[in-house]
Amino acid sequence: MIVGSLISYAQAIALGLLQGVSELFPISSLGHSVILPRLLGWDIHQNDPYFLSFLVATHLATAIVLLLFFWRDWVRIIKGMGRSLRDRGIAPDDNDAKLGWLLVVGTIPAGLLGLLLEHPLRRVFASPESAAIFLMLNGFLLYGAELLRRRAPETDTDDDARLAKQVGFPHAFGIGAAQALALIPGFSRSGATMGGGLLAGLSNRDAARFAFLLATPIIGAAAILKLPELFGPHGAGIRGQALVASLCSAVTAYIAVRVLLRFFETNRLTPFALYCGIAGAICAAVIPFL
Amino acid sequence: MNTRSPLIVGLVALGGVALIVIAFVYWVEPASSLPSFFPGHVAKHAAEANHHHIKHGIAAFFVGLAALVFAWFQTGKKKAA
Repeated sequence: MIVGSLISYAQAIALGLLQGVSELFPISSLGHSVILPRLLGWDIHQNDPYFLSFLVATHLATAIVLLLFFWRDWVRIIKGMGRSLRDRGIAPDDNDAKLGWLLVVGTIPAGLLGLLLEHPLRRVFASPESAAIFLMLNGFLLYGAELLRRRAPETDTDDDARLAKQVGFPHAFGIGAAQALALIPGFSRSGATMGGGLLAGLSNRDAARFAFLLATPIIGAAAILKLPELFGPHGAGIRGQALVASLCSAVTAYIAVRVLLRFFETNRLTPFALYCGIAGAICAAVIPFL
Repeated sequence: MNTRSPLIVGLVALGGVALIVIAFVYWVEPASSLPSFFPGHVAKHAAEANHHHIKHGIAAFFVGLAALVFAWFQTGKKKAA
């Protein structure tokens, strides 16, 4: 094995930039990281242990950016959860505590399903051909969520108050479970959570905010769990590239959060649905001939 | 959900403690040394005999923790409807 040439620095920069954007835009980062190497003729495969170690670093960077971006919110949420534990109940007006436990309830099914299904699903669906088809289906999913959305009246001006009042615990559980779809390359985790948020009656902006908050523990935990692999034999020859990719991923992730929160103030998931549908269809048609 | 039944609360708390103990068993024991009724148990000569099911342990630990938190909330003062 020629360790030094597993991933070039140019490839690392491209994959890092792509990861930061596609992890938070509802367009499937995993799907793109499977499809792009095939489209560009790179000898990189999704199930190669060194590539998984490489991706761990970029995911960790994305999680750190999300944590820092919503740092003040997380401090309030954790304080609220502490209050509720102390009082052995969630006070009706304690939106921070309610939001915190909603995130916990949403994280548990996603975490369990991720732990149990990650390897079998990746083994079966890691080909660029299937990723292209699932990317197309992700487009339909996003469009369907926009069509079927429940429009609840927005009574609060505070973001977290709206989230706490409009999302119930069963909704949070369902949205969390829907994230497991993202274990299949082509389906988007943030797309599943945003779509679930819309079906629960959230606005596009609130659904995006809930998706980003829900993403932080899941992406962070998954990355930390696999971080030792990066420092083990599977990380040999790619640590420098992983560091560069992580920095690129952090920059684009930060831009993506800012852009998306502003974008969803007035816009919908429809452009992402169109992109996924068209890009997935084109890739599905082209990849078999590459 | 607000059951308030002492029996159910006790059972949930007991289940939570049991799951946390199971989590430690997964972390400490290799797959071949796990009790045979545990998911992930393999025979001593199997290829994965020395593998530690860390992820099974993490899953059991967090579900156990969630059960304990649920039981804790159920012991709080009942709020007026």
